[in-house]
Amino acid sequence: MPPVALPVEDTRTEDEARVAPDHGWTTVVWNDPVNLMSYVTWVFRTYFGYPHARAVRLMLRVHHEGRAVVSRGSLEEMERDTQAMHGYGLWATVEPAGAGDGAGDGPGEGTGAGAPGDG
Amino acid sequence: MTDWTFRPLPDGSGWAAHLAAEERAALADLVDDVAALLDEGRPAAEDLPGLRIGTGPVEPPRDPAVRRLLPDASRADPDVAAEFRRLTEDDLRTTKLDQLGLLRRALTAEGPDLVVRAADAPRVAAALTDVRLVVAERLGVRTEEDADAVVRLAVAGGPLHPADPATVARRYLAAVSLLLSALQDSLVEAMLAALPDEPGDGRHGPDESGD
Repeated sequence: MPPVALPVEDTRTEDEARVAPDHGWTTVVWNDPVNLMSYVTWVFRTYFGYPHARAVRLMLRVHHEGRAVVSRGSLEEMERDTQAMHGYGLWATVEPAGAGDGAGDGPGEGTGAGAPGDG
Repeated sequence: MTDWTFRPLPDGSGWAAHLAAEERAALADLVDDVAALLDEGRPAAEDLPGLRIGTGPVEPPRDPAVRRLLPDASRADPDVAAEFRRLTEDDLRTTKLDQLGLLRRALTAEGPDLVVRAADAPRVAAALTDVRLVVAERLGVRTEEDADAVVRLAVAGGPLHPADPATVARRYLAAVSLLLSALQDSLVEAMLAALPDEPGDGRHGPDESGD
């Protein structure tokens, strides 16, 4: 009896192919000597809708480690977040997830494109 | 007195800071300068204002201060940075010019106080950021130590020598920088205090536990 195909494996591959690109990018905010800690915290709270403690933690990560991943998602979503950060005067870049992710990247920072009041 | 601090308006609709007339005028001039920087580097709109992004690549600004306002969106990938600039730079210039216009109107409004309505506060705070970024760039601020040196310069006092216009200009900018920082910090602290304690947030996942 010939072995049957392994549809489970194919299905998983499709799932991964479908899901992976949606979180393949990150928005990274970089430290600068000008922006105030209060302002960066306020931006993270209001634009991404993060709770105060998380916004402060991300702000401190930017301040002490030089950078922090603030959101994850598709390239288009991360470009939208980055444009918003530039509008606020924060220096942000779009980075591929996993590439160049140093110690500054917490595993759970950001779950998608941010929008005010999202969630 | 002039202490560069925003305080709540009696009706709760925003905040006000008392600034001397010459301080307001100096800040309004600076806002104009920053707006001019953003406006003059703009590619000509020609007769196709809605089709700007359909044109070719947009060169990064040559002035480092403008480039700080419109930074590269990728450190590693020039294609991502170029595409981002092509798609967003004109919109960002418009956003920033609108924000600066709001700040300018607040600075030049009638009355003894600089009044910021709560609804305008986020854009005013962003405009203050952009002005601060340009001032810092002009003062050569690259590090925290540079920023501390600007504060020391602003509070140092001592005689100024008219024969040394560069030092005079530098101390003037340092003083303006201090004023802008104080204004922005007190405004943003007030904005933070006005936020709900914990905004609704369903976005933090289980992988954040233990962090």
